[in-house]
Amino acid sequence: MGGGFVLVPLQVLWTGMPQRNANANSLVAIIPIAIAALPIYYFRKGSPQVDFHLALFLVVGSVLGAYAGARLLSRIPDRELTFAVAAVLGIIGVKELFFP
Amino acid sequence: MTWSDLLLIAGGLAAGFVSGTVGIGGGLLFVPIMTVGLRVSQAVAQGTSLVAIVPTAIVGGITHLREGNVTIRPALWMGGGGVVGAVLGALVAVEVPGPILARVWGAFLVFSAYRLFIQGWRRYQRGLSD
Repeated sequence: MGGGFVLVPLQVLWTGMPQRNANANSLVAIIPIAIAALPIYYFRKGSPQVDFHLALFLVVGSVLGAYAGARLLSRIPDRELTFAVAAVLGIIGVKELFFP
Repeated sequence: MTWSDLLLIAGGLAAGFVSGTVGIGGGLLFVPIMTVGLRVSQAVAQGTSLVAIVPTAIVGGITHLREGNVTIRPALWMGGGGVVGAVLGALVAVEVPGPILARVWGAFLVFSAYRLFIQGWRRYQRGLSD
């Protein structure tokens, strides 16, 4: 868990950051957080459970997807972007709330 | 290359796309792709997802920087704060039952979604495009 789901709404709701900047800032902030979290995860869990074959194929897709998504972000109006973010947070929130 | 490899690539593509636009790491999407799609155990799925987040965020983050979407200072503060938070969280990790944590977390997300929707709706009524 990188923390993006906390960083995005807090920036927009507390500091009035435009949605586009908030989403981009969050993804940049996740880089050091995710890197720092990796050794902590291994240390705490004892035996690291990572399937590098799965990771490789996931990453092939996700890297292309992240590039396309980041390029597209500049072309989505801020207001529509807020609705999209609210929808994603809402769907995952309801899922976690009722089917934890 | 098997069907499951193709499923991973397709799922990764979708998760990466949401990651790039919404600004999340993608872990919450990587895990169900593996557990539901390929019947991988929860523990392996979570560990693998943590690894997959790093290159995804690096490519998405660099693209955002090049597109001029990033305001550097807040991003650095959040990144630094997040690292400290991650270390502290691991050190003082209290054993909170998973389902309770997930429900608190879900409530926070639903509340945030509601507030964001209201904010977007007000701007919609005012007719502001940006």
